[in-house]
Amino acid sequence: MGKQVAMVMDLNKCIGCQACTAACKSLWTDDEGQEYMLWNNVETRPGPGYPRDWEQDGGGFADGQLQYGELPERSAHGGEIPLNHEQAFSSGTEIRLQQKEPMGYGANQDEDTSSGTYPNNYHFYLPRLCNHCTKPACLEACPVRAIYKREQDGIVLVDQDKCQGIRMCNRACPYDKVYFNYVIKKSQKCIFCFPRVEQGVAPACARQCPGRLRFVGMLEDEDGPIHKLVYQWKVALPLHPEYGTDPNVFYVPPILPSSFDEQGRFSEDPRVPMDYLRYLFGPEVDAALITMHEEIERKKAGKASELMDLLIAREWKSLFNIPDVRVA
Amino acid sequence: MPRSTRRIFLKVAGAGCLAAAFSGGFAFKTLAATQDPNAQYEYTGWENLHRNEWTWDKKTRGAHLINCTGACPHFVYAKDGVVLREEPSKDLPSFDGIPEYNPRGCNKGACAADYMYGAHRVKYPLIRTGERGEGKWRRASWDEALEMIADKVVDTIRDHSADCISVFTPVPAVAPISFSAGHRFAHFIGAHTHTFFDWYGDAPTGTAQTCGIQGEGCETADWFNARMIITWGSNPLTTRIPDAHYLTEAAMNGTRLVSISPEYNATSIKVDQWIHPRPGTDAALGLGMAHVIIKKGLYDANNLKEQTDMPFLVRTDNGLFLRETDMVDGGSDAMFYAWDSKTRKPVRMKGSWGEQPKKKPPVQPPFFGRNTLTFPKGYLDLGDLDPALEGTFKVKLKDGTRVNVRPVFANYKEQIMKDYSPGQVSAITGVNAAAITRLATDYATIKPSMIITGAGINHWYYSDVNMRVFHFLSALTANDGRNGGGVNHYIGQWKPVPLPGVGALSFPRGGQKHRFCQTTIWSYYHSEVYDAMENEGIDTAAFLKESLDTGQMPLYPRDGRDPKVFFCYRGNFLNQAKGQKYMLRNLWPKLEMIVTANFRMDTMALYSDIVLPSAHWYEKTDLNMSHEHTYLNMTEPAVEPLWESKTDWEIFRLISAKVAEAAVRKGYARYYDEQFKWARDLSRLLDDYTDNGKLETDVAAVEFFLRKAPHTKGITLDMLREKGAQRFKLNWTSPMKENIPYTPFQHFTVSKKPWPTLTGRQQFFIDHPTFFAMGVELPVYKAPVDADKYPLRFNTPHSRYAIHSTWKDNVLMLRLHRGGPLIELSAVEAAARGLKDNDWAEVWNDHGRIIARVKIRAGEQAGRVTMNHTPELYQDLMEGGSQSVIPIRLSPTALVGNYGHLRFKPNYYGPGGTNRDVRVEVKRYLGAAPA
Ligand code: SF4
Ligand code: SF4
Ligand code: SF4
Repeated sequence: MGKQVAMVMDLNKCIGCQACTAACKSLWTDDEGQEYMLWNNVETRPGPGYPRDWEQDGGGFADGQLQYGELPERSAHGGEIPLNHEQAFSSGTEIRLQQKEPMGYGANQDEDTSSGTYPNNYHFYLPRLCNHCTKPACLEACPVRAIYKREQDGIVLVDQDKCQGIRMCNRACPYDKVYFNYVIKKSQKCIFCFPRVEQGVAPACARQCPGRLRFVGMLEDEDGPIHKLVYQWKVALPLHPEYGTDPNVFYVPPILPSSFDEQGRFSEDPRVPMDYLRYLFGPEVDAALITMHEEIERKKAGKASELMDLLIAREWKSLFNIPDVRVA
Repeated sequence: MPRSTRRIFLKVAGAGCLAAAFSGGFAFKTLAATQDPNAQYEYTGWENLHRNEWTWDKKTRGAHLINCTGACPHFVYAKDGVVLREEPSKDLPSFDGIPEYNPRGCNKGACAADYMYGAHRVKYPLIRTGERGEGKWRRASWDEALEMIADKVVDTIRDHSADCISVFTPVPAVAPISFSAGHRFAHFIGAHTHTFFDWYGDAPTGTAQTCGIQGEGCETADWFNARMIITWGSNPLTTRIPDAHYLTEAAMNGTRLVSISPEYNATSIKVDQWIHPRPGTDAALGLGMAHVIIKKGLYDANNLKEQTDMPFLVRTDNGLFLRETDMVDGGSDAMFYAWDSKTRKPVRMKGSWGEQPKKKPPVQPPFFGRNTLTFPKGYLDLGDLDPALEGTFKVKLKDGTRVNVRPVFANYKEQIMKDYSPGQVSAITGVNAAAITRLATDYATIKPSMIITGAGINHWYYSDVNMRVFHFLSALTANDGRNGGGVNHYIGQWKPVPLPGVGALSFPRGGQKHRFCQTTIWSYYHSEVYDAMENEGIDTAAFLKESLDTGQMPLYPRDGRDPKVFFCYRGNFLNQAKGQKYMLRNLWPKLEMIVTANFRMDTMALYSDIVLPSAHWYEKTDLNMSHEHTYLNMTEPAVEPLWESKTDWEIFRLISAKVAEAAVRKGYARYYDEQFKWARDLSRLLDDYTDNGKLETDVAAVEFFLRKAPHTKGITLDMLREKGAQRFKLNWTSPMKENIPYTPFQHFTVSKKPWPTLTGRQQFFIDHPTFFAMGVELPVYKAPVDADKYPLRFNTPHSRYAIHSTWKDNVLMLRLHRGGPLIELSAVEAAARGLKDNDWAEVWNDHGRIIARVKIRAGEQAGRVTMNHTPELYQDLMEGGSQSVIPIRLSPTALVGNYGHLRFKPNYYGPGGTNRDVRVEVKRYLGAAPA
């Protein structure tokens, strides 16, 4: 086994701002055929996400067997639909600035729509990127072996010279994190900013995250924050572990505010149903949340908490534990 | 056209250079992990494609010079003369034990270069050929456009008056050099310029009323020092993106967080408790808390005695403060008394308005009621005095009559005890009574405890009362001037810390020789707005007339003239205007020439006569700052201004040159300005503008600016470029302390110098006739205004995807929500009207109409409609914009300008926005709609 770079995102710190999305887009997917792609996206959960209902598309492994799911429909991503600036500004008509075709489904269509009933409704933000899985279904599915996992850091890449546009990877990835470039007819996906990581510079989505919640480092580095959060404190969990690909992106599950009882008094019932969190993060989520609550209570009582201090990350660079971190 | 054509630009610009990609050197093995763990991947070298995408040949400092409080220092990366991207600079210094400011940025900032190359860019001077707003233009040369402008300026001065020329440009904290350009031009020709902080609805008039200061707040790193934070009418997770982490990090540090907001918003997600009062009932909730705090005896009486007017005596016969004029012949009407419990006598209190400090202040902080900072330290210290807070006492007036007097606190307490028990407040606000008691108890017992507030409580007719109540809560609990405490107001990019620099560059002959209009009054008056306030029994015209006739508030042009020429830059005036429908109908026809300078075609530009292309933020040198942190930072050209665009400083230099020429040509160079006794000479305009050549360039202007204020002493442009952002040396109401975040008011609370108010204290009782007429001489709850006879409240918060209107038309930002402006409704209100998600719907009232799509939100409270404020008028709505249904309503209390610290000073005191006191109805739109 080679080394594995990994990411932990603390959902308690994610503010849903999409700076990560914009940072990624400006850096990597600014070319023709890439308009619709958001290698990094942030979705409101519960909600159908991006692409729409991606959890229903299948893929991954079942009983060790690779599954081929459905290809997400093109419309499920929502597009980057150009605007008619010339018409609106200088056609001399009452015409509005409009998308030339309606946007249809948007990548963040259901932002803040919230589930449940006021005032006990609930939602939170979930940023997503390729998980650079230890068992990448995409790689396994590619008949021409255009997908590889780098030995030095475990980053999963689609070789743009070799890719034939067969799209089996699109069907196999249960997270719908492979995108098809309809112009050049090749599959493209998150590259975990490998040119930066090679230089000791964290990925753009992590470095430009004003929420300061994306830890990046080597999974096996026992002194690093990733190892501590995933293996020591066990508060960082993979998304949908049952998909069987062993993701290397992990999430600290969210804690939401008190709910209300019938009289409008604060109640002990959790605002977000535990079943929903178990659905996303598996059965480990109960224990993770108990740990989180315990440690927050310690802080409330004025006691020290190593876990909370780790997650607060006073020093920005402490988020990153990649060799030779630089401020480029 | 795709979102950004940067790559395509690069391909054109740098053909050839791209071929020089990385050469090999990366021959390592790769592993197909699951398929065949031992199989080696044959490396082809394709990875260099991406390595090459992350390269640049130029890295410069950049900032986003819009009305954004982020003031996030960035690096801008360019290759072959094309700006490719930007990234937060991440070199802001940190405070010990507190999370860093780095990385400061947001989603918009991460695609700011889109405006350089996108289809929105204005490339050449344009002259309108069709109707205003129609979008018919012809390209003109700079010379032609400037000449037209110059001729009109000179003709207007000659045929009408210089003050018929109006220049609007807001927010000196971002791009102070750009800001100064238009002000300096206006200053030398005698035009009037505009206030913006009040007009935008950001000025907390209640803070000016209570504290004699236009507004203050701690830098956001100080949030982390709080042990309890209430975000009240503020949603920092959406509107303060670079600072929001301090809330989530404080929560992890054990700070108790409460969000008070009618809707479950992004901030509510992160707190311990979300409290959701009915819209506009915040003052009642606050007074309910005060009730509990007073009843449980959890208040700090010493603080009230020393720092507030609570012990000051009020006559029971006329309801006014007991003044020195009442007590002694020749006494001051601005000196007041308290009752000393020890000597059982009325005692004249030190430090009030009637007493001047012995030492003259070197600089008058222009946004204060007055300068009290040269009073000696400890001036407010009570010494042996023990002023009574309660009781009724008898005093003998100078004419021998005896009257009863009571401390302000006694009167206020009586009212609070009578009207604001948790049960009563629950009936008003809909918040459970036990929750109110808990909130109040936590707030009073957890220390330090902080209120973070914003637009949600500040856009009401009685928003001043909301702020006064917050200040009262903070005074009760002695939270002011403490790190982690206080009432911190974050709306508006209003605080140019080194203000003397702004003054020196914008108003070289001094602010007294400059014409400032109060923009809300200006817009109301010249747009002939109908405010429907007779439905509330309030005669706005009478209050306004009184205010204008007695010179309490200014109105330009003088003598009943109409404005004739309007310059607008760095602001989308028309699009953001409340009373927009009235403005288009009544004010626009009065304007004979409208000139806009911008790099993008916004609504204001579209409705102008001449559009001048200005430089993007990454194409000029200027400064950037905010009240959210204390670090001055800069922007510099990553590339020269693209196409024919020019910097604002350069544009007004060129206009000044042309006006001087035209004045000479037309034989109208000299004229006498009666108001200021100023013999003006337009032929010298260029020399005046550049100070005889000393301020030719943007860089020269920046250096001049930096030298002029003690706050920026020793900071140079080179320093900002090489070392990064530099901390201010001085600030407004507290000292700057090394390694400690700035928190306001310590000059008063710690150094115990008088507050800049009439009483020299935080003043809660205002005995002015208008305040009595409105029933708010003490801060009591006033129900929202229901002048519009429609069922739903109209709520216009800020969006995550735009800074006001900037980025509203950005394709990436649009696709990250629903692609266009939205009307947000609760499921209840939608169902009641047969509306489904994404339907087209019509919002209307007597002022105007909007047609846009519906979004249903489970977290929205029934009874209102929400629309993120100010999409461009030309956007994907079928009609109108958020401002179309909003009139202008002038709060009479904000028209007062003849009471101690309540006087007009630009952006310090004057009427603001009341845009949440608007009611509308919604129905399904059944006309033809785009798919
Ligand atoms: S998330 Fe999908 S695309 Fe990424 S490595 Fe895993 S299976 Fe492959
Ligand atoms: S940038 Fe950070 S805080 Fe913002 S949405 Fe992305 S992960 Fe969340
Ligand atoms: S737009 Fe404002 S918040 Fe965003 S990066 Fe720029 S200055 Fe910061």
